[in-house]
Parts: sequence; structure tokens; C-alpha cells
Amino acid sequence: MQKRKKVWNKKRSPAVTVIAWGIVVLFLIRLYQVFDPLMGNPIFRNGINGRLLEAGRLTPLGNALLSSAVYLILSVAGIVVLIGFLRMQRWSWVVLMAWTGLSLMITLINYFYSRPNYLVMASNTIIALALNQADVQRIFKIRTDQSEPIR
Amino acid sequence: MSPSADRPTIAATATDLDILRRFEPVVCFTQGEQFFPTDVDRYVAEASLWAHYPDGRDELLVKQGELTLEKLVQPRPAAFGTVHYLRFIEPLSLSESAQVLADQGRLRRILKNDFHPGVGRLARGGLLPRVVDALFTLSFLARGRVPAASAAAAEIDYFHMRAHEDKFVYYGRAVRQNGWRVLQYWFFSCYDSWRSGFSGVNDHEADWEMISLYLYEEQGRLIPEWLAYAAHDFHGDELRRRWDDTGQVDFVDGHPVVYSGAGSHASYYRPGEYQAEVTLDLPSWLSWLKTFNQVLDEFWTGPLGQPSINPFRIPFVDYARGDGLRIGAGQAKAWSPQVIDESTPWIGQYRGLWGLFARDPISGENAPAGPMYNRDGSPRGSWYDPLGFAGLDKVPPPSDALRILKKNCSEIKKEQRQLEALIPAKAAELDALGMKWKGLEGHPHLAKEYTRLGKEIGVLAADVRNLRRAHSENAVILQSLTERLERLKHGVQDDPRAHITNLNMPVTTRRMRFDRLAESWAAVSLSVLLFGIVALVLLAPGYMGAGLGIILTLFVVLESILRSAFIQTIGLVTALLALISAVILLIHFWFWIGIGLLLVVAVFLMFQRLRELT
Repeated sequence: MQKRKKVWNKKRSPAVTVIAWGIVVLFLIRLYQVFDPLMGNPIFRNGINGRLLEAGRLTPLGNALLSSAVYLILSVAGIVVLIGFLRMQRWSWVVLMAWTGLSLMITLINYFYSRPNYLVMASNTIIALALNQADVQRIFKIRTDQSEPIR
Repeated sequence: MSPSADRPTIAATATDLDILRRFEPVVCFTQGEQFFPTDVDRYVAEASLWAHYPDGRDELLVKQGELTLEKLVQPRPAAFGTVHYLRFIEPLSLSESAQVLADQGRLRRILKNDFHPGVGRLARGGLLPRVVDALFTLSFLARGRVPAASAAAAEIDYFHMRAHEDKFVYYGRAVRQNGWRVLQYWFFSCYDSWRSGFSGVNDHEADWEMISLYLYEEQGRLIPEWLAYAAHDFHGDELRRRWDDTGQVDFVDGHPVVYSGAGSHASYYRPGEYQAEVTLDLPSWLSWLKTFNQVLDEFWTGPLGQPSINPFRIPFVDYARGDGLRIGAGQAKAWSPQVIDESTPWIGQYRGLWGLFARDPISGENAPAGPMYNRDGSPRGSWYDPLGFAGLDKVPPPSDALRILKKNCSEIKKEQRQLEALIPAKAAELDALGMKWKGLEGHPHLAKEYTRLGKEIGVLAADVRNLRRAHSENAVILQSLTERLERLKHGVQDDPRAHITNLNMPVTTRRMRFDRLAESWAAVSLSVLLFGIVALVLLAPGYMGAGLGIILTLFVVLESILRSAFIQTIGLVTALLALISAVILLIHFWFWIGIGLLLVVAVFLMFQRLRELT
């Protein structure tokens, strides 16, 4: 038998996989949020057949389209971050952490105003804690040494 | 060549004064320093003596102008809890305060003795230390403090003292302990103006600072080996540097150089600016806060892997630039030394404070006691145990090290010889017992004897095992000691910094991304935050929680960008938010989380067991 060739691969840690799955869950939630407002207004069947703005304010149709557009942008951004993350790019860690922080803050504010979204909260919590793991930070070159995160 | 060949030496029979003079330090102050080491005689002549009684009364015992060192040490029986103290600056009226502050400005302009802080203290720390700093500043409203104009009055009085006689004094003490000859240089200043002059932690009348040198005797000569510079309340190994550690210690013609902190007079080895972190001494009824913080910190730094945060430490800058007046050998100003010991009356017999007792419960603003005593009158560790003060109580002088090490080796060798004789005898005894025990098997009437022998064998086997372990451990220790012995015989010294865990170095003046902007922001940020909160309360009280969250986040993000710490900050903030979310989820879904965990454990165990089958 031929001697096995030893090739060192930059391996993903389990935490990275957990985070990637978290992003996928959030992506699916956002995707649902893209289509949900459009289902309420039968846009797929009838097309855009009404005014989007009236007296400088968004109509329900305009509101639905804007929400969908925002969630679509977020979903696409999520995919870009996911790709960067799986390729273990430093920028993706920074973007994901900032995003998770912002999302957690909004979720917490909503929670305290009695509009809880526990699924998003749980996904973000898992992502945040996983991103904070020392080995994940080392993989993404956020931390060079155990005790010294890069500024 | 001996490692000590290039060091200055002096005959061991020289007088204490001569020895002190041979190694006296060169002290370099920072431009802007107002108070230099002076003599206590003139200070006492300018001061009054007071007593503070437990019922809160203060009594003038000796008026200003009438006090001498002889009067200071007169016995004064008093009730428990009485504090005797000197007062260098008498209480000032409002108009007198305004006058001295104006005079102080004029004096500084004439002397051109201005201090420029450079990158401001507040810009060096983040938002959290700034909040703690603000609380600390506000705490002065509740605590006792030295009045604001006192520093100005002291500066003017000291200027007149210098104008009369420009004299720079150290009080030298030479003492023998454990084979070492310890030289202590005590410096007395009329005032510590760290807070008022250099935005530091505290001000107090009178200041005692000290450095120690540790010498050993070899062939009738005294050779310096270690130095220990006192800085704030630190003690132990971290204070100590070896004489040949030239990367850490500067010398001028064989005299060690001390860089003195501006206002604080703390002593440093390297010139520069030190980020001094002062730990708040919380009152005992608040000690639970520290325990709570420790538990949180363990979780924060352990499982969450975050850098430690101690909210009870306030960052301050101690400026020890060494760009001001220099005193010592070969400098513009020379020392006037005075030798002291326990028999010096004002050293041993005056246990009171050397300046104003400001009634500060955490003592920062109260004047210190003399070299021999703590503020509460108890003996000062650095006086009665100068070796322990620098962590040298476990380190023999180099001249004794070889002898002690040889003795250690020979003791271990002796023990090894004893073990080598004992182990075979015990092992043979164990073999014999084992054979006897085996011979009893299959004879039911010998069951009792069999059990007894079994127990005896167990005890003996444990003995043999322990002896063999001791022999093995001794062999390793002996090898290590022998290697060290060989190194010492060949004059190879240990790493001079091996005993130091955290080397205290000046901070590099890291330029901020937007220098001016960062400084201005640091100065106004806390006030802007409070204005924002007030606006929120008045204009949108219904959105208090959300508004506060958004304002704080904006502040933190802006702060982190200015401090080039964006990545670290978002990591920290997100971790905090995740913790809060985790607690919320746990409260709402503890049952399902428990079920989920059980399922995960079950699946994991099943996977493990099934793998064993394949």
C-alpha cells in the first residue's frame, strides 16, 4: 500500500459549523419574511396593480413591497456572509458579529415591548457565543494569542 | 570573570554613611513637579501638631512656629482611636484661597515650571473607566479630602523654604538581614500633589517614598545585587530588579537612576508614562460586590474567553518622564544625606501622621505616617522586613547560594543512600510475606491468619511504593539541583527577570486615530451621555428602554472607532447581549431546554455505544 500523503488542511471547528447552521436558520426566517407580506397582497397573481405612495405615505401595498425588499437585501447579505464565513474570511467574522449584536439588540428591545421572537433570539445567542470562542477567533485571525484579542 | 566584576563595590567595614553615599540614587523628576525631597526639620517647624479624638473633636496641641522635632516626640497619652497629625497648611478662608491660587499661577509662570500632559488621561481609557472615574470624582463630595487651595499654598510655602535653603535630603538606613546588607533611601516631600497637579488619584500633605538596595559581602567588599523601588502600595517580587539588568535599570557612574512619578513621587525604573490602576478599597459592608465581581469575571474570562474587566480599578496616569530636575551624583543638585535608624527619635517615637488627617475613610487623602509605621500606627512591613518587602526573604545572597545549594545536594544524596539501603530490605520483607500468604491458600482453618497477613502486606506494599516514589522524586530534584550547581560554579546567572510575572513598563503613547477628536470626545462624552438621557426622559419617556439602548450603543461604537478597538468592542457588547438573551430564554423555556439537553446526551451516548459495536 502506498504511504498516505500527509496534507494539513485548515479545518473548520465545530463552532464554525454551528454558526453556519445558525446563519442558514436565520436566512430561512428572513426568506419567509420576504414572501410573507407579498402573500397578504396577491402580488404574485395580480402584479403591482395599485399605488405605492399616497399623500407622501406608504400604502399597505407599498409597505409590503418595502418590507419584502429590505428582507430580500438582508437575505442576500446573509448568503454573502455565509460564503465568506465558510471560506473563513476575517471580514465575515466582523460583519457577522456586528450584525448579530444589532439583531440581538433589536430582538431584546422587541422582547421588552412584548413582541418577542424567540427563534431569532436563540439563533443569535448561539451564533454570538460561538463567535466568541477563542478557537473560532483564532481561525478568523481576530485573536492572535489566548489573552490578547486584536483591536 | 565573576558576574559582579563590573559592579561598584565598597569595603564592608565602611561607615553606613559612606556605604549609603556610594550607592545613592540619581532621582529624575518630571517637568512640572513642585515638591522635591526635603528635610523634616524645616517641615515640622512650619507645621502645627493636632489630635483628632474618637468623638470627632480636633485639638491643637502645638502651634505653628513652636513645633520642633523634640516637641514632636514628647509622649502624649491619649484614648484609643486618637489620631495625632501634623498640619502643614492651616485652614484658608475663601479670600486666602483665591489669593494663593493666583500666587501659584504667578509662581509657575516665573519658574516656567509648567506640566503638559500630552495625550489626556481620559482619552487613554474607555467609556467604562470614565464612568468609574466620574463616580470616584463625585465620591469626594462624601469623603474627606484635602482642600483645593492647600496644594497651591503648600507649593508657595515650599518655594520659600527652597529660596531660604535649596536642600535636597534623603534619609538613609543600613541594616543587616539574612546575610544581606540592605540600604534604604527614604525621601520626604512636603506634599503629594498627584490629584491637583497631574489629574491623579489623591492629594495629601506630606509624602514618604523609599527605594531599597540589597548588597552582599564577598572578600570583604559589599557588592550590590538587587534594587527595589517602591511604587504606590505594591510589594513583593514584582518590585525587584537585578543590578545587571541594564535593560531595566539605568545607572550614572554606578548610581542607580530613579524616575519619580509627577506628584505621586512613586519610583520607577524606566522613564515614561505609567498607566497606574488604583484598586478601590471598598468598605467591608460592600465586600460582597467584589466577590460577585470575581464570580462574574471567572465566567467572563473563562467560558466566554473575554479580557478581564475590573470595575473597581480606576486608570490613572503616573508621569515619570524624567525630563525635569535631577538630584544626585554628577547632577545639577546634590544630596544632603542623613542616616536614620530605630533610635532616631522622630523615626521610632512619633507614630502619628506627617500631614493633614482628612478623615478620608479609604485613606487616600490622609497623610502617611513615618518610615517605621503605617497610618494606623502599626509597624510598616518595609521597615521591619525589608527582604520580604521585595520578595527576597527566600533568596540567599550570591555568596551563600553555592554553599546552601551544596548542602541541599548533600542532604538529598544522604537521603538517597538511606533509601537505597531501606528499599531492598523492605522489598525482601514484602516478598517473604507474600510467599507466606500464598502458602496459606486452600486451608480454611487459616482464614483468619490469611486475612491478617493480607492487610499487613497491603500496608507494607504501600510503604515500599512510597519509598520508591520518594527515591524517584529525589533523583529528579537532585539532577535539577546539580545542574544549577554546575551553572553557578561556572558563573552562569539566572534570567534577571525570571521572578517577574508582570513587568511594569511605561505605556507606549499610542496615537489615537483622531488625536484631537478623541481627546475632546473623552472630555465631554460622559456629559453628552447624561444630556442625551435627560433629553430622552423629557422628550420621549415612552421609549426609555429602547432609546437608552440606542444611545449607549452609539456611544460605544463611536468610542471604539476612535480608540481603534471596534472589533474588540462589538465582540464584548454582543457577548453581553447574548448573555442577557440566554437568561431570558432560560427563564421562558427551561423545561424544553432541559428536555433538549437530555435528548442530546441520549443521542451522544447512543452514538458512542453503537460505535463500539462496529
